[in-house]
Amino acid sequence: MKETILKTNQLTKKYDNFTALENVNIQINKGDIYGLIGRNGAGKTTLMKVITTLTNRTSGEYELFGEKENVLEKKKRIGCLIENPAFFPNLTAYENLKYYCFQKGIADKNVIDEVLELVDLKEAKNKKFKNFSLGMKQRLGIAFAILDSPDFIILDEPINGLDPIGISKLRDTFKKLNTEKNITIMISSHILSELYMVANRFCIIEKGKVIKELSKEELDTECSKCIVIKTDDTKKASVVLETNLKTTNYKIINTNEIRLYDYLNHAEKVSKELISHDITIMGLYETGITLEEYFKTVIKEEL
Amino acid sequence: MLNMMKADMYRILKGKAIYIIFVFLILTSFVSAIGISPGHIGMSTSSGSAIDINDAEFVEKLSKAKSLKDVREVIKSKGAFELDKAVIGTNANLYYLFIVLVVIVLCTDFSNKSIKNTLSSAISRKKYYGSKTLLIFLLATFFTFFNTYFFYFLNIIINGKEFASSLLEVTKVTILELPLLYGIISLLICFAFLFKKTSTFNTVAIPFILGLQLVVIGITSLFKIKADWFYNYEFQFALEKIAQNPSTQYLIACTVLGIFYILIFHTIGYYSFKKSEIK
Repeated sequence: MKETILKTNQLTKKYDNFTALENVNIQINKGDIYGLIGRNGAGKTTLMKVITTLTNRTSGEYELFGEKENVLEKKKRIGCLIENPAFFPNLTAYENLKYYCFQKGIADKNVIDEVLELVDLKEAKNKKFKNFSLGMKQRLGIAFAILDSPDFIILDEPINGLDPIGISKLRDTFKKLNTEKNITIMISSHILSELYMVANRFCIIEKGKVIKELSKEELDTECSKCIVIKTDDTKKASVVLETNLKTTNYKIINTNEIRLYDYLNHAEKVSKELISHDITIMGLYETGITLEEYFKTVIKEEL
Repeated sequence: MLNMMKADMYRILKGKAIYIIFVFLILTSFVSAIGISPGHIGMSTSSGSAIDINDAEFVEKLSKAKSLKDVREVIKSKGAFELDKAVIGTNANLYYLFIVLVVIVLCTDFSNKSIKNTLSSAISRKKYYGSKTLLIFLLATFFTFFNTYFFYFLNIIINGKEFASSLLEVTKVTILELPLLYGIISLLICFAFLFKKTSTFNTVAIPFILGLQLVVIGITSLFKIKADWFYNYEFQFALEKIAQNPSTQYLIACTVLGIFYILIFHTIGYYSFKKSEIK
């Protein structure tokens, strides 16, 4: 069983009459790249701020690395980039990271060059932060987050303001950190398609509530092109699919629905076969949606 | 906490502000030593100064002086006095340097929002508050003693030993002033944690002492209230009095007042910081 890095239980944050987070329950396991998706103001940053103790929770609790009580001590195993990257404008990239090396008690200053190289900022290491472009600031923020080789990094909209090449490089960096250094990542964005390319688990949040938590495979299933078969006997229908149509590429969604991922241009063949075996078909149609459409659908359902 | 202080020292020494404080202290020391008079910002009883405006003959001589050299001769002719202690009596001027210290150690972190980096992964709020406070206190103590000793030796070089007390005496007076100085630094730290932004902090902190003096003096004179308590224990007046060999009872009262300020302002500052959201 995988180690649990973060687990929240009914986490709630209220600002006077406004509820920013409502009974949030999520779980992030070791090795996950956990994508937090939501519109602006959905509660993504608030959730991250509560976890990193930048704001106090109203109720509920959370565990970090399996501990409820000693959360502050466990914070040392976390690297963060919350909201916009914030550093001292008159210090260079190198000096800013050196400041945090002193602060975190990192004796080996070579790590600064290593992380700067990882985020492609080695050339700009002696440039003052105030002269950085937005993309460079974001990358320095990521360099800061991974400075002391944390086990878990929390990144709040890190691709904001980056150009497509920058986004692609960053994506590779995240994957590299995840696979080579075994770092668990929690990353937020309001662009599902971007998160899809890097994350393996997703959480859709809207108005402070978690409305869906799913794996990449489940998301693929939800979005991929398929034939939806509505029937009152999914068991019998699945036998026909396997024995007569020779396919196992289907999924039983509920007692009345099967999603078939084969025979995409031959729906009539599927229909004929099922009817010939006395299976009542209440509906049969092709479907398939883009990630953005899926996101909109889920959000609308909630609204 | 030590790591945090080390990091802040690294950052502060990379900036210009700390060196400007040195230059400012050196310049004001030169001005006071050459002018044989301590400088004041704000209201003062001027009791430590050589210039007695009630002595008509002395004032007339001063007005006739054509150069700085003449002014010095006139003041010297009035007789020697302990200029170094008089300068320590005007240590309320350091209030403005303490504002700079609080800004460079603390407010910068809030204004740049770099505090998020520290609190989200490095240390707790308690340690953050403690390390920032301790560093400000240490730097303030260093600058206060630097001011005392630099002026002490400069004064001897420029004006001679007759205008100086002993090294032990200036050290003693400076130490006696520390509780009140720490009290006022605690007020500034409290302001910084309450207002967070450098601009808001400056708007409140810079005119605070002068404003308070004006308000109290205004009210007491308007309603003809006897305000001895104010003149005795107001920050600026109290520091002046400490340098003038007051009674032990008065020194104890000032020390207690300083400790009271330290406790009350840190309680307010810490609890407001503990509850606040870091934006």
